[in-house]
Amino acid sequence: MTKSLFGRGALTALAVVLIAAPLISGSQYILSVAIITLMFGYLALSWNVLGGIAGQLSLGHAAYFGIGAYTSTWLFGRLGISPWLGMWAGVALAILAAVLIGAACFRLRGAYFALATIAASVVLKTLVENADSLLGGSRGMEVPLLHDAPLYFQHTSKEFYFVIIAVLTAVALLVNWAILRSRFGYYLTAIRNDQEAAQALGVNTTRYKLLAAIISAGMTAIGGTFYAQFVMYIAPEIVFGVNFSVVIAVICIIGGRGTLWGPLLGALLLHPAEELARHVSGGMVGVDMMLYGLILMIVIRVQPNGLVAILKKISTRRQAAGKAQQYGTT
Amino acid sequence: MSTTLIQALLSGIASGALYGLIALGLSLQFGVMKIINFAHSAFLMLAMYVSYWLSMKAGLHPLLTLPLTALALFAIGYLTQRYLIDAIYQKEIAREPIGVLIFTTGLWIFMNNAMLTIAGPDNRTVSSPWNDGLLIFSDYILTYPQVASLAVSALATAGLVGFLKWTRLGRAIRATGQDREAAGVLGINSARIFQLSFAIGLLVLGLAGGLLLSLYPVNPFVGDVFGMRAFVIVVLGGIGSIGGAFWGGILVGVLESVGSQFMPVTYAEALIFGLFLAVLYFRPAGLFGVEKE
Repeated sequence: MTKSLFGRGALTALAVVLIAAPLISGSQYILSVAIITLMFGYLALSWNVLGGIAGQLSLGHAAYFGIGAYTSTWLFGRLGISPWLGMWAGVALAILAAVLIGAACFRLRGAYFALATIAASVVLKTLVENADSLLGGSRGMEVPLLHDAPLYFQHTSKEFYFVIIAVLTAVALLVNWAILRSRFGYYLTAIRNDQEAAQALGVNTTRYKLLAAIISAGMTAIGGTFYAQFVMYIAPEIVFGVNFSVVIAVICIIGGRGTLWGPLLGALLLHPAEELARHVSGGMVGVDMMLYGLILMIVIRVQPNGLVAILKKISTRRQAAGKAQQYGTT
Repeated sequence: MSTTLIQALLSGIASGALYGLIALGLSLQFGVMKIINFAHSAFLMLAMYVSYWLSMKAGLHPLLTLPLTALALFAIGYLTQRYLIDAIYQKEIAREPIGVLIFTTGLWIFMNNAMLTIAGPDNRTVSSPWNDGLLIFSDYILTYPQVASLAVSALATAGLVGFLKWTRLGRAIRATGQDREAAGVLGINSARIFQLSFAIGLLVLGLAGGLLLSLYPVNPFVGDVFGMRAFVIVVLGGIGSIGGAFWGGILVGVLESVGSQFMPVTYAEALIFGLFLAVLYFRPAGLFGVEKE
């Protein structure tokens, strides 16, 4: 008990330090790395609801991300509606998309489901690329620059964005935590482990998968709006890209899918590692991403269940060692 | 039908056959091991570079590089499965091989960017008089590389289908794909079969890469252009169905080529992925797949 309390205290302390450090450091560079890291953590947590807890390997989450980014940016740029409000229109549209994609894809399993979700996002990307007059086509859209306008989700200081994404991430953690310990969460886990068995026990698998998809898509869309407001420029190739979908899923799986802290842990390892690799490579093109790919391969080779599983293994080994000492056995 | 339409149909069939050849290996790996190999596009890129170097440095005719590239890719495939993928695969053989998917994603990013540092970002083409050769019959034209793609793709597909159907090893591969445990009981060493299927998949991809080099410039990210299409074709044709991959490829090639006569090329792409979703919805086993379970 004390051990887990101690563990929890250590985790909280670590979280406080991690959140405070970028703010105190005063370095704009560190702050932006932290913002992007948290954004990926937030997106991985959003993906976790469907891809982790429910075990539906979606590789098309860029669809929801792109919908979120484009909806709020369009409403902002064309009608002057604040992204704080436009964000919710994005959520609504993403939920609609999740229902449509879910209806088409939920009969499929595993690899088939993954490929179908990719295809759905590619269709959407292609449509946006061709919507020249409405959405700027493949040139993308710029977010109107207002400088210090917090009411319009905009500020010159990076601290502003850091606080927002930290809060969003905390909320995403809370959502995951609430789902994991609820009856809904148990149903989703049952679906992940054995869908036929869950169905035989009377779980309405389609309904719960759809609900998970809706939550996951809505959260991802909010991430899209955040991205648009932070980077101030969106293009279909980026926000609807297959690469983006894959990155989100990879972060969650590398960290430990279906777990509470895994998605965040994955982001904390991978994005700073990418930045570090960029420095180490000294600007040599390609070397940074080469190292990134290498890290991916090594982590998965060592532990296909992700970082959380590695940590668990270490902690149980230490506990076992402690017990062995206590009882004087080897 | 107008002349332009028939011409588009012909070019579509030629490029489609090559798409099918690219998808063939993916389909085999998918069918036997149930893995999504995301590094497939990177291996295609590698095959193109191998062919490029063989023809530039050793001065070989583009067609003569094909068997050598295929052999090189076979060896690379065997080693990759044996020393990199197998250990992960064996750990999760009973469930969805997600680890393999992530691993091949890492490999894909690694290979693309390793090639970027080695070869640079430039587009490279092999200039051979053969590339510009034209086969003209009445109003229609096909280039020599297009004709070669059609012939090699058809032969390779037929060869692979025959190999899987009539040889002992081919039957062992199919048996492992259908029921791993039963195959094991019959004394088939599944790990060995996985290594061979992966290697054979890349062997075929080596042929495709060598052919593609005469039609398309090579750069470190060239594979990604064709990789997504290969996934679509595999599912359209029915996972594990080698003949299906060939016809699925032709279907996609024709749709793209004829479709772009009526609409912008990018819309044609949406059409292909839309069709893909529709097929998955109504026939989850694919157009040429056999409904199982």
